[in-house]
Amino acid sequence: MRAGTVLRAATALGGAALIGYGLYGLLHDHYITDPLDVLGWAAGGLVLHDGIWLPLVCLATVLFARLVAPRVGTLARSVLTVLAVTALALTAVALPAALRAGTPRVNATVLPLPYLRNYLLALAALAGLAVATAGWAVLARRRAGRR
Amino acid sequence: MDLKTSRTPRAARLQALLRRGPLPEGAFRSPLHEPRTAVVIGRWLGAALLICFATGLFSHVLQDPPSWLRDHLPSRPVDGYRVTQGLHVISGIAAVPLLGAKLWTVYPRLFEWPPVRGVRHALERVGIAVLVAALLLELFTGLLNTLQWYPWPFPFRQTHFWLGWLATGGLLVHVAAKAPLIAEHWRRVRPALVERRGFLTAVAVSVGAVTLTTAGQTVPGLRRLDLFAPRRPDLGPLGLPINRTAAQAGTTTAPADWQLVVDGPRAYRLTLADLRAMAQVTVRLPIACVEGWSADAHWTGVRVRDLLDRAGAPPGARVRVTSFEADGPYAVSELPADHARDPLTLLALRVNGEELTADHGFPARIIAPNRPGVLQTKWVARLEVL
Repeated sequence: MRAGTVLRAATALGGAALIGYGLYGLLHDHYITDPLDVLGWAAGGLVLHDGIWLPLVCLATVLFARLVAPRVGTLARSVLTVLAVTALALTAVALPAALRAGTPRVNATVLPLPYLRNYLLALAALAGLAVATAGWAVLARRRAGRR
Repeated sequence: MDLKTSRTPRAARLQALLRRGPLPEGAFRSPLHEPRTAVVIGRWLGAALLICFATGLFSHVLQDPPSWLRDHLPSRPVDGYRVTQGLHVISGIAAVPLLGAKLWTVYPRLFEWPPVRGVRHALERVGIAVLVAALLLELFTGLLNTLQWYPWPFPFRQTHFWLGWLATGGLLVHVAAKAPLIAEHWRRVRPALVERRGFLTAVAVSVGAVTLTTAGQTVPGLRRLDLFAPRRPDLGPLGLPINRTAAQAGTTTAPADWQLVVDGPRAYRLTLADLRAMAQVTVRLPIACVEGWSADAHWTGVRVRDLLDRAGAPPGARVRVTSFEADGPYAVSELPADHARDPLTLLALRVNGEELTADHGFPARIIAPNRPGVLQTKWVARLEVL
């Protein structure tokens, strides 16, 4: 118990020290001429993520819970969750590449693949699986209901 | 406070709001906004972030070694930097869905009421704000750096480095603050929540998906699954990608009177013909870029060790390598003693059987094992024994 308390306090202090070192570095690095820029982008990211992105995700989960979940079984719900979360993750990673690949570049070996096509194909595959899963689940429900 | 004592209905509503917060009880319907889900995803995310921090520090030290360390940087294992920096970018990309899932799981805590319950609680919440803001910006800048896309006004490398300390510090403070809750939910409880199992599977699958579709830029066996990585190790002139082109560096044509200057106790100069006439060695070494891609190639040229011996360099000497590119942060690099003496370290004249192109560093470039690609200086003009 006591060792646990000491460890916990040491972790907190160590964390605070790392934060202090990072802040000191950000403020004193001579390449970073305006640390307020960094603060602005960090705060902006926080506001965009927590103020816009997450409310949208929560709205989507509410719609899913109201419209889809009651019509399909547990397994189908899990599969649909897997497909939706995977689509979001791939979007976060692939969309910047697809957007950037659309702009003129001096170095042809950066972004040499057809990113937009690959992204749309991946989304289409996930959407196809989702439609198949939902269709199968709804049919299975109906058949079970008829019996 | 009793409604009767309120002066107006509006004031009463405000008082009620202050008592229970902006969101009604049960505003978040999903059963997954609970500690066990947060602990499981938090463990995965914590592991990814610690790998990012450790490998990032290693990369930083290799690029900017402190004076007490610069004589102790090993040139082996050959693939050392390729593995650490590959892991850095792989775990960073894996952290994208993990961070998303973690923040969604704990989102209702943002609206906890009252917002502050004392000094300790306030510090904890400020710490979480630092952690989340630093992590979001860290993953965003890191991902875009792999695309060589810099839409922000601050320098990438320094900011990414310092934010890494803030994020890791924030992580430690967060773990310390939540220690009892983490301990309580560390182990699985039966019966398991069905939704949780589905959600954790979803998060694991999404991590697998982003990893498998990007890791091919450094992991040879995954190249065929590479859909979204910004580089393909086999795509580029002479079968090799380029980080900085000759056009970008202003080195499309080498100076007509190009000679290699070797400065040391017995300084001398060599023409390209002289270099070609020396004993040529072919080695297989990777270019391993800070941006997470790596590619093997066969390099042919003169051993740097031989050039140094001829200049009378002492065994423990470091070597400053200067490019003829006009400017740029990597126009000058330093070879640590271990690398300078390594038999695999070459002043390369050819790659994959062909003469170097301007983009690959014609007429001569450095290639050494266990080293960030940006330090494998191209368009070499001068070697200087230190």
